Amino acid sequence: METKHVPEKFIVSIGPQHPALKEPGHFEFTVDGEVVTDATARLGFVHRGMEKGCEERNYTQDLYLMERVCGICSHVHALAFALGVEKLAGVQAPPRAQAIRSLVAELERIHSHLLWLGVAAHEGGFDTLFMFSWRDRETVMDLLELISGNRVNYSANVLGGVKIDINDSQRDALHKGMDFLEERTHHYMKVVTEDETFLGRTRNIGLMTKDQASLLGAVGPTARASGVKHDVRVDSPYAGYPQFPVKLITEPAGDLEARFVVRINELFESYRMVREIIDHLPEGELSVKVPRRIPEGETISRVEAPRGELLYFMKSNGTDQPDRVKVRTPSLCNWASVLTLAVGHKLADMPMILAGIDPCFSCNDRMVTVNRGGNSQDWSWEDLRKYGIAYYK
Amino acid sequence: MVIKKKLQTPEEMLQAGKELLQPWTLSENTPESDRLDVVIRAADIKACVKALIEAKWGYLSAITALDCPEYAVVEGSSQKVVVADKGSVEVLYHFCSGAAIVTLRVMLPYAAATMDSICEIIPSATLYEREAMELLGVEFIGTPSMERLLLPDDWPANVYPLRKAFTGLEKTNKVEEK
Repeated sequence: METKHVPEKFIVSIGPQHPALKEPGHFEFTVDGEVVTDATARLGFVHRGMEKGCEERNYTQDLYLMERVCGICSHVHALAFALGVEKLAGVQAPPRAQAIRSLVAELERIHSHLLWLGVAAHEGGFDTLFMFSWRDRETVMDLLELISGNRVNYSANVLGGVKIDINDSQRDALHKGMDFLEERTHHYMKVVTEDETFLGRTRNIGLMTKDQASLLGAVGPTARASGVKHDVRVDSPYAGYPQFPVKLITEPAGDLEARFVVRINELFESYRMVREIIDHLPEGELSVKVPRRIPEGETISRVEAPRGELLYFMKSNGTDQPDRVKVRTPSLCNWASVLTLAVGHKLADMPMILAGIDPCFSCNDRMVTVNRGGNSQDWSWEDLRKYGIAYYK
Repeated sequence: MVIKKKLQTPEEMLQAGKELLQPWTLSENTPESDRLDVVIRAADIKACVKALIEAKWGYLSAITALDCPEYAVVEGSSQKVVVADKGSVEVLYHFCSGAAIVTLRVMLPYAAATMDSICEIIPSATLYEREAMELLGVEFIGTPSMERLLLPDDWPANVYPLRKAFTGLEKTNKVEEK
């Protein structure tokens, strides 16, 4: 008699909802015992129709709308939009404005990378590192508030320039802040590269080769940690970067440890950039006039967000409203890499692999359902996180 | 031909891209100094993408879908209105290499908004394809999953929110209330 073996599939479904979450997403990991064999994503739970919304507002209103695409990297969205509109209108912001745009962009990168460091550490159960990095992040949040008046959504850009300037006392505060953060960051580098328990969770985990990274379209620090030499600030300098060039930072290893090292090295580079810009700020005006009606045309505006390349495609039609604004955020590119990377890894590694791409995804208490041959069992993201930590104890 | 990227300026990269795509080019345009737009037939998309990828000409940065509806002028005024069900969707594949951007442009009429998926060549393109599929109604044959990615599960079929004719669910096709 023939016996037929039907392999049972276990599907662990994560998400989508959590009230504290910026970007809810739903994932399903199919597991064979402990090992993940397939992963899928379902996005769009916070799709707010902003691209459509843009078409019904004028360019000035859109600038404020686009700054609100993301709460972490708000400045780069406004920057990409403003640069695109300026290209279409055929105007250029003055050098001082361009330098201040890059200054705010680097401060934003510092806050975003420190935030990520804390989130990624928390997913691995390293809560002391999480608390310290977030405490230190307050330094840069205070500096952003000092120069713009806001902790998030700094609203530094206007079409044609910026609306904030840097005075001497702000310059001194920025120097002091960078000195403090640099010292702290040396300590973090030591922790993520030398601490045995930390390395046990990151070294050789979530490996992605350079070829895989390129093929999967990974961007930003995720790609650079696999040795991919892509950084829009270097490849196609914009705003203040032609005048203040940035150093490209890559790591060859392609594992989670490399993703930590790349981001921490980028922190050092950002501290250097902030000092460089405030010490050599060009004199002059802060903005130029941009016409209300933008001539017909199409443009592509690319900037390096903390998570990687951010692309805006814009089409104008001669009126004061754009015909189309297409936004491609870096996280969208990196989902593809995480879904492929997940395969072959342990379920216990999922929280850190997911956090490793810094996917605008900092939720902790999501609902997790374990499907087991018709029976389902509910877990929260917290349960999965604890499961991962316990697994490695 | 494999392109040695480091040695080349954006102009040289665009020239190399132009030569690679020559066999399938219907028309081309350089809208900005670092950009090249190449109009191709929908049927040639896989060949073009393969040519770029095999030559290591950059990476796919995004797929944009653009709605190009037909407009009619309202009699007695200068106001323009969208003519429903007439028009086309343009699909733009943006490839970047350094500062250079090559855009492959494909025009598809609403009545035949179908083209091949490029996921065989670039697996990660599926997220961009599914986005264009749901928001602008372009069907990509062979994309690994046709399930909803962005829109709610109860969103009515054949209603594409990023088309110009769409002005809100209530006016076009209200979701049935349970």
